[in-house]
Amino acid sequence: MWWVADAGPSPGDDDPDTEASADPEATSDSDAASAPASGAVIVPVEPSSTLRSTIAHIAEAAATEGASALHLVEIASWRNGDPESDERAAAAERVLERAAAWARADLEDSEAPGAPDVEVVMAVLGADGYLFGADDYVRVLAEYAEANDADRVVLDPEYTPVGNTTLLQPLEFALSNTPLSVETAPVDRPTRRERFRTEATTGRFVALFGLSLAFYLLLGDPTYWFDAVTGVATAAVVSITLSRVSLDSDPAFPRTPMRIVRGLIYVPVLLFEIVKANLVVARVILDPRLPIEPTLNRMRVIVGSGLPLMTLANSITLTPGTLTVRARDSDLYVHSLVPWAREGLFDGPLERWTRFVYYGRRAARLPSPRERDDVAILQGPDATEELPIAAADGGDPGSGVESESSGGAAVEVESSDDSTDADGVTDR
Amino acid sequence: MTETARVWLVVALTLLGLFFSFVSMVGVLRLPDVYSRAHTASQADTLGAGFGLAAVALTVGLAGAGFKSVLLLFFIFVTNPTAAHAIARAAFEEGIVPWVEGDDRR
Amino acid sequence: MSLVDASLAAGYTLGDFLLVAAAGFAVLAVGMLYRAVVGPTMQDRVLAVNVLGTNTVVILAILGAALGEPTFLDIALVYALLNFLMAIAISKFTVERGGVL
Repeated sequence: MWWVADAGPSPGDDDPDTEASADPEATSDSDAASAPASGAVIVPVEPSSTLRSTIAHIAEAAATEGASALHLVEIASWRNGDPESDERAAAAERVLERAAAWARADLEDSEAPGAPDVEVVMAVLGADGYLFGADDYVRVLAEYAEANDADRVVLDPEYTPVGNTTLLQPLEFALSNTPLSVETAPVDRPTRRERFRTEATTGRFVALFGLSLAFYLLLGDPTYWFDAVTGVATAAVVSITLSRVSLDSDPAFPRTPMRIVRGLIYVPVLLFEIVKANLVVARVILDPRLPIEPTLNRMRVIVGSGLPLMTLANSITLTPGTLTVRARDSDLYVHSLVPWAREGLFDGPLERWTRFVYYGRRAARLPSPRERDDVAILQGPDATEELPIAAADGGDPGSGVESESSGGAAVEVESSDDSTDADGVTDR
Repeated sequence: MTETARVWLVVALTLLGLFFSFVSMVGVLRLPDVYSRAHTASQADTLGAGFGLAAVALTVGLAGAGFKSVLLLFFIFVTNPTAAHAIARAAFEEGIVPWVEGDDRR
Repeated sequence: MSLVDASLAAGYTLGDFLLVAAAGFAVLAVGMLYRAVVGPTMQDRVLAVNVLGTNTVVILAILGAALGEPTFLDIALVYALLNFLMAIAISKFTVERGGVL
């Protein structure tokens, strides 16, 4: 472990010439009622979209509350001695230096009386071993805090040390078990529009242009010059604005035509299933006794995200007796009207067909969800799991809320395409 | 295909469409909660509309405006389940608990 | 002679039959209207209006065929698009968290 103390004296010791931080009781005259923040503040740093505003917030808070030092730390996701560790350490140092420069500038601009006394310290933690998960991060942070007399951790709301998983909530939870006080900087997070957008490539542009032009000419008259000109213009507008949104992968030669062919095989199968099951459900609905036993079920499916998931979810909804209520990553919440439909769903023929359409015949051979034990009934006498819903009316209020909050963190990222791609633009 | 066969096929398809739309209406009126109603709204109605539009396509003839009818059919088959899913999901996010046996909501 | 003029039975043509069928679909739509009025939840109403819209599309298409007006199909196409957009938009914006898309 190494750290850079850029201002000379060891971090956390009280400068004798400052009244503000020498005495914990009389912290800063402007904000004595606030947190017991006479010690140092630790801020884990990682390049993120809200880092700049987090630093600004922390610098201001540290200045008004009279904190002695601001520790900007980066928790290493590498190990010293590994290949590339030098480059990654250098990159981390650059991020830290930039953050420190921002913090110093903010402190200089600050009008709070404590501002000149706040030190800015940089450190890289945990590079001498591998860290797994939130508990390890917290252990490293707590050791550092103890060594430096810090009592407070402020988190960037977009802080993600591992790169793409959301670790913030587990991290906050683990930190709450330590004597450190934890808070998330109250800064505006950018709206997450970016996840709908993918890279624009020529392949996607051409595919979307062709599709929309064909659609336009199909509705109009392909031989009439006016339709041809306006069609090209419209298709250009559509593909310029939407080629990043509509398609999430490039069309590829052997794959895309194969998918279309296999999709055409699937259509009559699906139609037959729909008609057959519709007749059964029609009998149930027209029965004067109305013999239904609706339940909500959960099923984990093994298809890719995006278009395959949308195909599967729509197929399930089209097949009578089953309705996809929500799709979270690979978990489908399916409402079934009669037990017969539920059993058919758990046998997994639609999942196998979807895999056949997108990945070919060999991928379609897999055990049914029931055999994989990837199913759960959430309601009724056979229920095997609790309903993950905040019970608004009826039901018992306690149980549902709890499971919602514990599951909420891990499934933050919703699969975004389950209902957006329905305008007929596909990437098959 | 002779013309008589085509005519009677149109009649049959229209009647099937009417039947499934009728099932859909009965379902929407009788079933106890929004989730079960979404079943018939998305499925029986999609099939009813599908048969009706197939009858139209057959009447008009695929050479003329009939392919628009086929396009419409395809479009309804894609959008109807998606809309039902969106509505059911909205209900779920509102916290509406699905009806089970013994619940007295109707 | 187009298909709608083909006689079916007792002097009635296929066009007449299609008109009657369109009337049948309209009657079914009135049934849906009951659910749209009664509710009880917002989602019930949206659902009922969505089904009503699908019925309207079919009625438009059948009328287009029966009356020999192919332009009705274009209107039906636009109506179907708007109907879908309506369902998606309302279910997105009636939910507080608004995360439907």
